[in-house]
Amino acid sequence: MFKTARSRFQTWITAGAGTIAALFVAGLMGAFGALPAHAPPQLPPDAAIDAGRWRVQSVRAYVSRAKVYGVPLKPGQKALVLEADMTNRTAQSDKAYFNVFAPDGLALPDGLPMIALTRDQTLTPELHPGMTERMAYVWPLAGDAIVPANLSFGITAEIFKPRDNLYGTPGWFNPTRLGTVTLPIADLPTDSLGTGS
Amino acid sequence: MSAVSADIEPAGDVRQAETKWRRRGLGALAILLPLTLAEISYDSVREWLHGEDLVARDIDFGQSMPFGGSDWRLADLRGGKAGRLPEHAFAVIATFAVTVGDPDLQKQWLGCKLMLTDATGRRWLPDFISGVSLPDGVMNCTSAIFSGAKKGNVITVGETFIVPEDAVKTIRPAVGLGSERPWYLRFQRPPK
Amino acid sequence: MKIRAIGNLLILAATVALSYGMQVSKPHYAELTAPIPIDGAMHDTVRARSFDVRLDKVVFARTLKTDQFGQTRVLTTSGLWAVVTTNLTATSTSTTVADGTWQGRTGLRYHQTERLSYRQDMPPHAVDPGLERNGLFVFEVPPDQIRGASLLVAARQFAPLDAQARISLDAVPTGADGQPAEILPQYDLDAAVPSVQGKS
Repeated sequence: MFKTARSRFQTWITAGAGTIAALFVAGLMGAFGALPAHAPPQLPPDAAIDAGRWRVQSVRAYVSRAKVYGVPLKPGQKALVLEADMTNRTAQSDKAYFNVFAPDGLALPDGLPMIALTRDQTLTPELHPGMTERMAYVWPLAGDAIVPANLSFGITAEIFKPRDNLYGTPGWFNPTRLGTVTLPIADLPTDSLGTGS
Repeated sequence: MSAVSADIEPAGDVRQAETKWRRRGLGALAILLPLTLAEISYDSVREWLHGEDLVARDIDFGQSMPFGGSDWRLADLRGGKAGRLPEHAFAVIATFAVTVGDPDLQKQWLGCKLMLTDATGRRWLPDFISGVSLPDGVMNCTSAIFSGAKKGNVITVGETFIVPEDAVKTIRPAVGLGSERPWYLRFQRPPK
Repeated sequence: MKIRAIGNLLILAATVALSYGMQVSKPHYAELTAPIPIDGAMHDTVRARSFDVRLDKVVFARTLKTDQFGQTRVLTTSGLWAVVTTNLTATSTSTTVADGTWQGRTGLRYHQTERLSYRQDMPPHAVDPGLERNGLFVFEVPPDQIRGASLLVAARQFAPLDAQARISLDAVPTGADGQPAEILPQYDLDAAVPSVQGKS
């Protein structure tokens, strides 16, 4: 009888301690979540940045009202263009550069940009390991969209896992915001762009 | 304390029952494991069988055979040197006369594949040859599917092929349809 | 009772050790399902599962000239253009050979260029049994990735457990600095004899 009572008491203590620990951890996590998220750091606009599988260096940004690098615009649209030197840091040809840059605070009708190789206007070609190419990110905008004189672009990077948790295969995972670069936005008149060929 | 000692030394018949059930459990495993394997692979095997032309149904020249809801007959098989083909290559045209039975060709003829096979089991799929076109009124499989042929219509289906010289002597035309796989039709050559 | 507990602990420890050893030493899923390489040398016929391939010629050029939709384009590159001419045949059934990769000595993989629009002599190559045809693979590679490289040719890009021809490019003449012995200022893709056949 005494033994049963004691073991019951022990059970209560054990279960109670677990509950209290869980509540405590949950409370802590909630408290951390409520903390103001610290803003992603400003990255230097004139230096090369290692962003996961890409090394990127922004070159210039501007607004164009004409077809740029072969990317057609719908009538009444204009385009925000970011030119950047991109280097594939991985061991194989890759084209996963769609989400590397994203302009902050603009309404984008299309979401993802059109991306062209400035060398010959090829749309979204694979980039090869260690071969730097200048790429133009083109975001179509509404014709009356207001683009600030200085615009910040978020840079997203992924991390490499030699083995993922499901299949144990290597890959790039967990996109995180690395920081922002702020660039002056030139407003280009219609015909000042080289179209290349 | 008496309850604890009963756990350590169970009565003889309880232990016997436990051993029996353990044995039955192991026996069930031997049956259930293969069953599970079969159940898991069933879909893959079925899909694979329905995607491959594995088993031939041989047909004599001049005979027709119901296949995919329609009657298929080899109409013509002819070959020759053509235009700018490489030296040891021949152009071959195979045509079939098909009497449409089930007019739902988009379902019955899905994955329609005309091919040539030779004596060693090699297979040729249709090629485009510049300068060689199908005779008038002959459609390829895809256009036949969308031709809107009605029940009872006789349509002519054909393709052009490029075949090496060493195979020309033994080639036989064959037809595979998604609704009939893994079976396919293989026709005897027309007599000389 | 005590002996039994110790025995259980020993079994547990042995299981943990065995599992860890297997995790460390056994090949991983990606390796188990990788393409199966079939090695060969230049000018040899390499027999993959569904096709045979023979590497005939590698030409390096600074620029590439091609006619596209009646327009002449000159393609530049930050490295070199490598134009690889292969001879292809299907083994038993008409098929396509679509994937070429230039693999550098250290394992960097340069996939065939996507900057040329479709041409008859560019991948995917339609191949028939018993009929040889020429197929080009065109790469952009940095000059330091040429010595000791190999060419990987497969039917499709993602083909687990399918054969992949791995052809050593040791026979490509290079100078003392690892650069190719001969680099053309321009390679005209249309100067070669045009092909007259293809898949319908």
